[in-house]
Amino acid sequence: MTALKHKTEAPDDSLSIRRLPEAAINRIAAGEVVERPAAAVKELVENALDAGARQIDVTIADGGRSLIRVADDGRGMTSDELPLALERHATSKTDGEDLLDIHSFGFRGEALPSIAAVSRLTLASRRLHGSSGLAAQAWEITVSGGAIGELRPTALGSGTVVEARDLFFATPARLKFLKSDRAETQAVSEVLKRLAMAAPEVGFTLVDSGRTLFRAPAGDHRLARLARIMGREFEDNALPIEAEREGLRLTGFAGLPTYHRGAASHQFLFVNNRPVRDKLLVGAVRGAYSDFLPKERHPALALYLDLDPQRVDVNVHPAKTEVRFRDAGLVRGLIIGALKHALAEAGHRASTTVGLGALGRFASAPRGDAPAYRGRPTAPGLQEQLRAFQAPFSAQDQDGAQEALLNEGWSTREFDDPASHELETQAVGLPLGVPRAQIHETYIVSQTADGIVVVDQHAAHERLVYERLKRGLASADAPAQALLTPEIVELDPVDAERIAAASAELARLGLEVEGFGVGAVCVRATPATLGTPDVAQMIRDLADDLSELGAAHSLEARLEAVCSSMACHGSVRAGRRLSAAEMHALLREMEATPHSGQCNHGRPTYVTLKLADLEKLFERA
Amino acid sequence: MQVLVERSALLKATSHAQGVVERRNTIPILSNLLIETAESGLSLKATDLDIEIIESLPAQVAREGAVTVSAHMLHEIVRKLPDGAEVSLVADGDGSLTVSAGRSRFALQTLPKEDFPVMASSEFDCTFQANAATVRRLFDKAKFAISTEETRYYLNGVYFHVAEANGAKTMRAVATDGHRLAQIEAPLPEGAAGMADVIVPRKTVGELRKLLEVDSDAVEISVSETKIRFSNQGVTLTSKVIDGSFPDYSRVIPANNTMKLELDADRFANAVDRVATVSSERTRAVKMSLDADRLVLSVNSPDSGSATEELEVAYSADPIEIGFNSKYLIEIAQQIDDQNAIFLFSDPGSPTLVREGEDASAIYVVMPMRV
Repeated sequence: MTALKHKTEAPDDSLSIRRLPEAAINRIAAGEVVERPAAAVKELVENALDAGARQIDVTIADGGRSLIRVADDGRGMTSDELPLALERHATSKTDGEDLLDIHSFGFRGEALPSIAAVSRLTLASRRLHGSSGLAAQAWEITVSGGAIGELRPTALGSGTVVEARDLFFATPARLKFLKSDRAETQAVSEVLKRLAMAAPEVGFTLVDSGRTLFRAPAGDHRLARLARIMGREFEDNALPIEAEREGLRLTGFAGLPTYHRGAASHQFLFVNNRPVRDKLLVGAVRGAYSDFLPKERHPALALYLDLDPQRVDVNVHPAKTEVRFRDAGLVRGLIIGALKHALAEAGHRASTTVGLGALGRFASAPRGDAPAYRGRPTAPGLQEQLRAFQAPFSAQDQDGAQEALLNEGWSTREFDDPASHELETQAVGLPLGVPRAQIHETYIVSQTADGIVVVDQHAAHERLVYERLKRGLASADAPAQALLTPEIVELDPVDAERIAAASAELARLGLEVEGFGVGAVCVRATPATLGTPDVAQMIRDLADDLSELGAAHSLEARLEAVCSSMACHGSVRAGRRLSAAEMHALLREMEATPHSGQCNHGRPTYVTLKLADLEKLFERA
Repeated sequence: MQVLVERSALLKATSHAQGVVERRNTIPILSNLLIETAESGLSLKATDLDIEIIESLPAQVAREGAVTVSAHMLHEIVRKLPDGAEVSLVADGDGSLTVSAGRSRFALQTLPKEDFPVMASSEFDCTFQANAATVRRLFDKAKFAISTEETRYYLNGVYFHVAEANGAKTMRAVATDGHRLAQIEAPLPEGAAGMADVIVPRKTVGELRKLLEVDSDAVEISVSETKIRFSNQGVTLTSKVIDGSFPDYSRVIPANNTMKLELDADRFANAVDRVATVSSERTRAVKMSLDADRLVLSVNSPDSGSATEELEVAYSADPIEIGFNSKYLIEIAQQIDDQNAIFLFSDPGSPTLVREGEDASAIYVVMPMRV
């Protein structure tokens, strides 16, 4: 109080407390919502989507610095609404009664006035009258640095056009901190693509100084839209995700583990169709894919989570890129569960890009004087043909194939001894087929009903051994070696509490730990499998895991790494000659084991070539 | 330099020296040993900058001098020469050392002796004489428990210090890796009371063993805060000690374990080894089930099977079941030489004490494993 008094009594008038002018308030608020051109684009496009647009055209110039124009064919606004739209906290999207029950993108009523506060904005709109289909007169209004101009009639087809010129001219400081035009354009493009992924039915274009950067026609299917943005190959390597639990619905597409990327930039999460960035997704994805990917590789996926708006708070940040779930554990469990389920189902589907690549190499073999091969193996035509390249066999397919084989009177003479002959007839219709040969003492070539399969024997067996060891790991509590002197590890109090709270789960993994006052834990036993680990480091890694991902991934990963190296040593190496019976056994076990389509490092354990592909190679088809 | 030296004496010296020299070095001179003529004949010196060994051996010196050559190569040459050979070492200052014996001649590249690193000499606060067998026992019985984990570097050696037990001062060697601990005692030699507490690194303990093979009553031990030196029969090993403080180990030695098991250590070790065959490679867990005068060792491995073995033992306390890492049990049992091993248990979650008969001068503590 005295300090305050001192301040007010200070002779320097500039130190007294005063109310800021409206323009300054708007500029400050604008800084929160609109920190770069991409943010303005996001706000305007979201408004367009909320207005029910079917086509949204975005035009920018100089990275959005000199021009951002967003034109939509949505409902439009009446002449009365236009000036109101430019006022702070004016919105049609909520009545303000319940800010937790939000069904639209926007609701804060901040975006338009914020952009208007820092640019020269022209807002033109024409309201479509509901049933009559008659359009009212179009109106436009201009705002410059927050000063609202006159309402004027104008000519406009339908919908709304927002044009923001000279963004940030009113806040030169912000202007200084913008990145290069190129980087800003890139950011605009990223934002628009995310929104386009959320709304596949809406058409989008992005034009930068006359150059079309992105075009997505209206009425796409979701997967087609994703492929347009994440790359063609994603479409061929995507697994549909569909799961529902306690009112949460998760849909979308996840990439096969063999289709991996160097960065986690191809992972998208949409909550109630709103693109968000959330650590929760990163952790859940890492957990679900942990067994299948090489280190430092990331899967590509796009997941859509739908839930009651009451159960998620999108009002965490003005830009709404972060959300808070009421029950984060449930969401995480749903995502991990759905991904793991999809991956388990796809255990026998290696990425088609692998198969296509191999096929490409087949075709590029020297062809001597034969007539020039005109078809290019990676040409779209062939890709179309190969779309169903390695689709999992359905029971029906198998039966049909088997019948066809028998009808055609296929006989098998490769194996002389009657026992293997019998094995073979049983195996004719099985997904991995009948082993025909082992080549280079490394690969097993087997014949299926409609193609051939080439299996890498070491990779395949390694995965089988690994899965067996892991089952052992999961079936019982891991043995724990007690420590002579309990190790006290000092941590952040929050982390220490988290570790102590997870102690039951950790004990199952062989780590006995308990709270030790505030900001420390006491480790009494460590997993025997790990020998004498660096306890403090292990606990710190675990604390990070628990805070970021909500689960003890790093400890499980360490235990699994031991399994993995044991599996590597305990499996059949390349160079070992296998008998027909051994090959048979390996293929059958692969069929019975989940995840046997990839080795522990994410490489495929086998590739298949359909008869049709072979025919293509020989130009017979 | 021109000297004539007997092959077996040279072989002994080069084998000591090459143990200190690391196989791969970024500083070339560290691969070499320094051969110098001295009053008594020859002196050989090798170092890895942490340990330095100097050995003198008799030789006929025709011309004085000094030279450095590859330790491993010289050792290999001498090793392959016939027993009883006279080896001639001649260096003419032309960058090579000629080693000849019988009709074999080797010309080895040398490096200037001026480049050979000299360990900074330091004042030793305390010097005393000890019996070689006593010192050998102290380190031999403790070294199995030395930790190899680098983060707790202060456990990567044997804690060699003066302790007080039952009012009498003793010399004590302690090693632990956090799962088990060995504490070996010997009567305090005269003049050793003021010795600093030091942690002798694992490598030094290994090299020291070679030096103590020759029995003598006069192993001279000098200790300072930073270095320790052992001299025996013309060989001097000087080593830096680990700069760290050894944890207070006395707390982990259980004093009130009353459930007493007595058994034959060899038969026990063999039985543990046998049943551990079926345990999964990494955990090696063995369960000990004790009942009146009966011990059942069992291993249960979900993916490979199970094994049990029964041993007749002396045990009269309440039945107990307790699990251990089989490797730990075997290594401790191997320290027991003449008498029966005595195990003292408290409960399946607490440290177990092991000693040889009633001899409390060597005790081992091992933590159980939850299986």
